[in-house]
Amino acid sequence: MPPTLGHQHPITQMIDEINHIFADIGFTFAEGPEAETEHYNFDQLNVPKDHPSRDMQDTFWFKDADVSEPTVLRTHTSPVQARWLEEHGAPCQIIVPGKVFRNEATDATHEAQFYQLEGLHIGEGIHLGHLKGTLEYFFSQFFSGKTEVRFRPSFFPFVEPGVEVDMRLLEGESKLAGKWIEVMGAGMVHPNVLKAGGVDPEKFSGYAFGMGIDRLGVMKYGVEDVRDFYTGDLRFVNQF
Amino acid sequence: MNICYDWLKDYLRTDLPNTGEVERLLTEHAFEIDGVAMVGYHAVIDIDVLPNRSSDCLCHRGIARELATILGTDLQYDPLAHVPTLTPTDKIKVTIADPSACPRFTASLVTGITVKESPGWLKDRLAALGQRSINNIVDATNYVMYAIGQPLHAYDADLFPQVDGAWRLGVRYGAPGEVVEILPEGGSTEVRQVVCEGTELLIVDQSSDTPIGLAGVKGGQFAAVHPGTTNIIIEAAHFHPTITRKTARRLGIVIDASKRFENEPSRELPPYGQFEIIKLIKDIAGGECVGTVDEYLEPKANPEVVVRVSTTNALLGLTLTQDEIEQMIARTGSMVTEREPGVLVCTGSWERTDLLIEVDFIEEVGRLHGLSNIVSVVPDTGLSATVNARQYYSEKIRHTLMQAGYSEVITSSFQKKDHIQLRNALASDKSYVRSTLTHNMHQVLDTNFSHTDVLGIRSVLAFEIGTVFNKVNAEAREGALGQKNDPGVGEHLSLAIGVRQKGNGYTPKDDAPLQAAISELQASLGVDLEFDIDKGVAEIDLSAVIATLPVPATYDSMVERTAATYSPVSAYPAMARDIALWVSQGTSSDEVVHALRTPAGDMCVRIDLFDEFTKDGQTSFAFRLVFQSQNKTLTDAEVGEVMAAINATVEDQGWEVR
Repeated sequence: MPPTLGHQHPITQMIDEINHIFADIGFTFAEGPEAETEHYNFDQLNVPKDHPSRDMQDTFWFKDADVSEPTVLRTHTSPVQARWLEEHGAPCQIIVPGKVFRNEATDATHEAQFYQLEGLHIGEGIHLGHLKGTLEYFFSQFFSGKTEVRFRPSFFPFVEPGVEVDMRLLEGESKLAGKWIEVMGAGMVHPNVLKAGGVDPEKFSGYAFGMGIDRLGVMKYGVEDVRDFYTGDLRFVNQF
Repeated sequence: MNICYDWLKDYLRTDLPNTGEVERLLTEHAFEIDGVAMVGYHAVIDIDVLPNRSSDCLCHRGIARELATILGTDLQYDPLAHVPTLTPTDKIKVTIADPSACPRFTASLVTGITVKESPGWLKDRLAALGQRSINNIVDATNYVMYAIGQPLHAYDADLFPQVDGAWRLGVRYGAPGEVVEILPEGGSTEVRQVVCEGTELLIVDQSSDTPIGLAGVKGGQFAAVHPGTTNIIIEAAHFHPTITRKTARRLGIVIDASKRFENEPSRELPPYGQFEIIKLIKDIAGGECVGTVDEYLEPKANPEVVVRVSTTNALLGLTLTQDEIEQMIARTGSMVTEREPGVLVCTGSWERTDLLIEVDFIEEVGRLHGLSNIVSVVPDTGLSATVNARQYYSEKIRHTLMQAGYSEVITSSFQKKDHIQLRNALASDKSYVRSTLTHNMHQVLDTNFSHTDVLGIRSVLAFEIGTVFNKVNAEAREGALGQKNDPGVGEHLSLAIGVRQKGNGYTPKDDAPLQAAISELQASLGVDLEFDIDKGVAEIDLSAVIATLPVPATYDSMVERTAATYSPVSAYPAMARDIALWVSQGTSSDEVVHALRTPAGDMCVRIDLFDEFTKDGQTSFAFRLVFQSQNKTLTDAEVGEVMAAINATVEDQGWEVR
């Protein structure tokens, strides 16, 4: 008998698919460290020390003795934005799929580690309409059906205007079809973040977005408990 | 923040839309609604006020003002419309040690009051917000905070020592080691003793320099209002948001007052708080206000901000006219003037401490105009992107290993014990970050081996690609100091491959398929790989390998994947039964499985062929049937019944059980 084929983890399947969809519209897959300095994880992203905006992300810290400067397990993939801008400048179009960490109690919709997809597009004349069109394109491809997106006001320190993004699958048999679902936060990159990355906000503008890949998996495959992604249980993995 | 719908009527009166409309307007233009509940006969809306608006919208007047802005009307009654006139007094003196920490401090003396039960309407409103009524004075301080956002505190003036006929309040930092007694919290009756670190801002009774409370965070027992109180001092101040926050976080105290101070309400607000509470106390507790002291040492006015029509449209992707933009900004209560055509100068109204730069105003225009009006720009397709080597080779490795039967796992980055411990771990068994994938892979092999029947596999073959962390020695770190992008913790991408063929653990035979898989990888990547092998688990530094490989120009085209449908893994044990049978040559195993499917029923989750041979015109098939329920542990008898039905079918088909 031929050997049974192995199975790819749904998270990396999704990352591969995300990468192909975004590569086709010109986005480069960027990466950064999981042990990240406070400087990049917070300061460069317009999240000052002792500011209430830090409450949005419960953070794991490394011990001072082990690090040369305050270091965290990155709470989001956004620090890669700052690193990329510093290194490559504008214009740029990147996605950053990667593992992130939050120091919070776990349940069926929260895990201390999860995967996030960051997107950053900086150029001349980039506006909220580009963000909307790009997200509609992505979701339509990813969920294999025409998808529309709507914005609601929101706040994230690294963007302004900040928006909450809802999506609605307009066609198909999926359980998702026809319903507005809150999927991510996004917005126009804050001028402080551009300046911190050495980009002139008078010349360039751009959008950024961030969403949970685990949550995309919940929607795409009907996974009920996000903790199942990380149990190493092949009874889970081998269904994909 | 809980907002009582009926309370909003105080400010909007007839302009207040129904609750459903309030929800819709706020959702589309301002804040998310977490829920609406009926508390008694009041509709209470739980509004998730955004962090940048927690300076002005954590109160009923703020939400009413926001609704007026969205509706394009003015408040019909606005307690913040006119600067209040307060009678000065020299009966209270205030000493502020550091004006940057406490830019403003006001205190009023009210005499001849009667402490009693609050009137029904007041108790009713506080109850709608889930607040217990204490007495009319304490309730009044809370009421004014929920109404206009200014936290207040009342002291019994007769229990507060006077010096030379005046009460003396001070604001200063606590000295390291200094002890402050604060009121008990939620449920507790014990006074809490807080030892200062030196960063806490304290309110002190200046006559003896005794701390009487943690500024903005928690008051003490000192001069507490009691049923016999007749003269009171009411404090309304502005404390530095960061200082308040640090103290509150350190002590784990998050109360309504600290939450407001943390978010930097306007420095103009305290006198409005005094005006409102003096009026309310007179109304519900009687007495006369002798006067108010107002120490305002560091005023802060909102800046004039240049807002360009072109930039506004460029960021929002809209084509609004200057008039439209002006009108929307004016609706927020901001002052707008034209500097030159296309260039506006805007100043936010004093209570909006969040309108400081151009994009702050552009955001206001975007949300008031309606974010639903943003028009999509469809991206161009068929473009190319620089290839990420790590992603490219990770995918290549995955596909090579999957061809060889290996499945991919992602395990926890946290360990019970390892080299690098976190400062603030979630749980004692997750307090270290992993330095290797091998440990988790051994666990994956152990736990999955007991599921081989359900999985329909004979041995467990798995791999993981993930980040591992290692300590960088102090010397190397010294060298890196000053480079602000170096965390000092080393990390790299690692690949672990594991094999387990026997249930009782590792056997040396497990190394052969492992070596074969490594050979496949070497062939696929075109490099020699040196793995560390530990009892059926091989691990390699993948970052180091990828660094030696060329970066390809394009990605391989995406593998077609079938749509997966997932069902939860049963928590109950599985039971396996084998059956071997003779069928006439030419009968396919699929035909047999098809026939067995019906008698096998829902409890049978798998039928796997594991042996097959043909002899003398007859074929022997051996199947393993796996039984499992989503909601109970199956018994031998239950499975036995199914097997009997299967045997009957085999007989009916003219096959023979071996």
